[in-house]
Amino acid sequence: MTTLFEQSVQPAGRQSVPSAGKLPSVEYGLIRAHVLASLVTLVLSVLFGILVATKFTFPEFLGGHGWLTWGRLRYNHTQGIFFGWLGNAFLAFSYYAVPRLANRPVSNRKLGWSLFCIWNFAVVLPGWVLVAAGFSQPLEWAEFPLVVDALVVLAFILMVFEFVLPFLKARLSNLYVSAWYIIGGIIFTMLAYPVGNFVPELIPGARGAAFSGLWIHDAVGLFVTPFALAIAYYVIPATTRRAIFSHFLSMVGFWLLFFIYPLNGTHHYVYSAIPMAAQKGAIVASAYLGMDVILVVTNLLLSLRGSSGTVSKDVPLRFVWFGVISYLLVSLQGSVQALMPVNRFIHFTDWVIGHSHFAMIGFASFLALGGIAHLWQRIPRTRYNERAMNWSFWLLAFGLTLMIADLTIAGLVEAQVWQSSAPWIDSVHAVASYWLVRTFSGLPILAGFVLFWISLITGSRVSAESTSVLSREALENVPVLDVDTVIAHGSSFASRFSYVHALIFGAGVGFFALSFLVLAILPGKELADEIKQVAPVTMPALTASEQRGRVVYGREGCAYCHTQQVRSLAADVRRFGAPTEAWETKYDYPQLWGTRRIGPDLSRESNVHPHDWQLTHLYNPRLVVRDSIMPPYPWLFSGSANQPSQEGLDLLAYLQFLGRARQLSGFDQQTPASVVRSATADMAMANQASARATPPTVPIAMTGGYSDSAPVLHPASNSNDLLEEVSHGATLFAANCASCHGVAGKGDGRASVSLLPRPANLTAARFSDERLSSVLWNGVTGSSMPPWRQLPTEDLRGLVAYIQSLHVPSAAPSTQEATNLHEGKSLFAVNCASCHGDRGTGDGPAAGALAPSPTNFHLKKPTEERAWEVLENGVPGTAMPPWKGQLSADQRHALVEFVRSLYGTLQENSSP
Amino acid sequence: MINLIVIVISAVMFALVLVWWRWSAFRASIEAPKYFMLRQERRFDDGPRTPSSTYLL
Repeated sequence: MTTLFEQSVQPAGRQSVPSAGKLPSVEYGLIRAHVLASLVTLVLSVLFGILVATKFTFPEFLGGHGWLTWGRLRYNHTQGIFFGWLGNAFLAFSYYAVPRLANRPVSNRKLGWSLFCIWNFAVVLPGWVLVAAGFSQPLEWAEFPLVVDALVVLAFILMVFEFVLPFLKARLSNLYVSAWYIIGGIIFTMLAYPVGNFVPELIPGARGAAFSGLWIHDAVGLFVTPFALAIAYYVIPATTRRAIFSHFLSMVGFWLLFFIYPLNGTHHYVYSAIPMAAQKGAIVASAYLGMDVILVVTNLLLSLRGSSGTVSKDVPLRFVWFGVISYLLVSLQGSVQALMPVNRFIHFTDWVIGHSHFAMIGFASFLALGGIAHLWQRIPRTRYNERAMNWSFWLLAFGLTLMIADLTIAGLVEAQVWQSSAPWIDSVHAVASYWLVRTFSGLPILAGFVLFWISLITGSRVSAESTSVLSREALENVPVLDVDTVIAHGSSFASRFSYVHALIFGAGVGFFALSFLVLAILPGKELADEIKQVAPVTMPALTASEQRGRVVYGREGCAYCHTQQVRSLAADVRRFGAPTEAWETKYDYPQLWGTRRIGPDLSRESNVHPHDWQLTHLYNPRLVVRDSIMPPYPWLFSGSANQPSQEGLDLLAYLQFLGRARQLSGFDQQTPASVVRSATADMAMANQASARATPPTVPIAMTGGYSDSAPVLHPASNSNDLLEEVSHGATLFAANCASCHGVAGKGDGRASVSLLPRPANLTAARFSDERLSSVLWNGVTGSSMPPWRQLPTEDLRGLVAYIQSLHVPSAAPSTQEATNLHEGKSLFAVNCASCHGDRGTGDGPAAGALAPSPTNFHLKKPTEERAWEVLENGVPGTAMPPWKGQLSADQRHALVEFVRSLYGTLQENSSP
Repeated sequence: MINLIVIVISAVMFALVLVWWRWSAFRASIEAPKYFMLRQERRFDDGPRTPSSTYLL
């Protein structure tokens, strides 16, 4: 091998360039057009990304319009990068490289311009407009709607004619590895794209997720990576004027990529309902892929041996070098994060977002930029501005490094909070500053891309006939191989091997098909059998309204912040309930499992939050969750939270559908705490990391419904401890309760106007420990008060202490005259007992049908003013009517005194 | 199944390495494209522009 590499090295100036006939034509116009389109879409896509990042810190920013909402911008950010930026850049490079590598022009110029128009004016531009207008597909890397997907497939078919046919006309044994990557990238993406974009619309839930997972990775592995590596393998020898270290190793790397990469996809759904064999297969393939990447990068870096000076001087080569190093790092990171011990910790966090930016900017974009800069310096009439190009490199390198470091640390912080019993919003607080830094890190990246563009348009103009000064100089000074001798030596044998290349390509297609068989079709069949056996026969399908709500959920990008899969991990189960099973997703066309959590999982959302709360939350999340960063959706309402449009009601219906089948199935009926504890421990996957609170004795799962397991939380009896609890409770109240109950607890928070019944005025009654504990644990059915059982018990105890401190006893205690009490008791028995019960315990004959339940006066003592007000006006939004017209003032006074006298007189009825 | 796939891929790659190591003609053949690429690069750098090349932008 060494002899082969070294034998023909001669000074370039002493050899003649072999003549091989007329040069094939190169479509320079198409190269320039695609470069221009790539940079326009790149800058726009990065702007979308910066807006998306900004909304993490300022969720109201540009939040009033549907077409500028977070979800739709997020879709357009990733699709713009994928199709607009990288797609155009790779097409530009293909128009430059294919004639050189195939020694033939691309098939047809008109076909090329048709492809350009389809790619930009039938895919990218309409895709963006349709997504902004609310027509999208909620699948990762497949967000453009189906009509656009069909045009993408058409574009790939045209690419086969334009770029692959010239290679097929050439001798396969002469094909350089970049040519193979271009062929593989086009053909395999053409095959994978329909499977990833159309199949999940036809195969629901977990089964569809198996296909989605494949596409998520195939988009990177079969489209982005091949073209990026084609550039690396091209630019390095073209710039250094030395052949790559080993073409054999490059081909081994090429085939391993196409054999292994499609097998990776399911590693996005580790610990999910997808059969474990498929998950483990994907994990093994991920580790194997890491070895392939080491091989490829070693070969590329050895190809740069002795060229460190060129790397530092030649900016395009430096871009490529950076991309190659990033490829190694990000791929090894990917292999590691697929491993179960790592995956269970960092999955769904910002770590993964850092990983994807590392891949798409550090690897793919740097190589694409290197490729564009390289060809720009070599095509007629264009040169780049080296100073601007150099600044572009350093700005991008700085911004990217900052972004990756920031997101990686943010991911670790989020993961740590999620492992604890801290409330979900704590993870948002914990990484808020990291999100701000991430936004700022996008600015140098945007500046770097803009500067790159500027460098291309401000370079010195040269004549059309001029050749590359750089390459001419290199040709004079750098020793190159006597290529004729070597080619002749190899070609005498190579023709016999042409069929081997075709054979291996066929094997590659076979492995591609195998990946779908092993990771999607077989697991899908297993899941179908499981669903048939396990799914309740009465499982209700979505109503028309729920189905419409599901579409709204998808188009607004909800699945990009809220997963719908509880993984079989203790931390997940403790927080969200039992792991998601395949049958729960049998009506999900397409699946909405999600791969990221910014908000909590929603797969069991049914009955967790009351309708008014949900609507207010959708209208403006910060009305009910002070520190929420969720975008507002005012276009689903007609001016206020209590005036939802049909779409708002549909979305509400869908949210209330999530998990209902599971609740109705009875699978999770009141599992005793001891059983839950042992079950989570038995998972052997649980990472019981340092919870900031005492581990709860029962799951903190945010499942809805009433729970008998509500503990009674008694505030401390010691005054110092009580003061501390009240202080802690005040902080929690301000963060979690004040938006509805008001800062002072008077029930006049910002959200109160849209809630019915209005939030309780906590200063207007004295509540027992039992009552407050029950309300905090279970919420109040029929009102907007959700359960808060996800909070640690000491937090709940602090809230109990603080709320009790809000009540100020009347300065002048009322005089309860025996006659009044007697009259009040009589009136109560006649007018109130049917709802409130004979003893005032809120359990009258009619109580079971009422929500909220009638007040238990043994656990709640309203102030005189409040009791009087209720009797005067009733309680809007409840069954309590006004009694002003039916009872005299004296009678009402008697009733007020009577109900207030009941408090604390029936301790045995402390249960709510 | 995945074990089988890994074993098959590894075996194929090992066989390729073995062929490459034991068969010098294969080495020459498989390495030839990298020199072809360099030759093409030099031809395009030094050769005359063809009339069919487009300069639309």
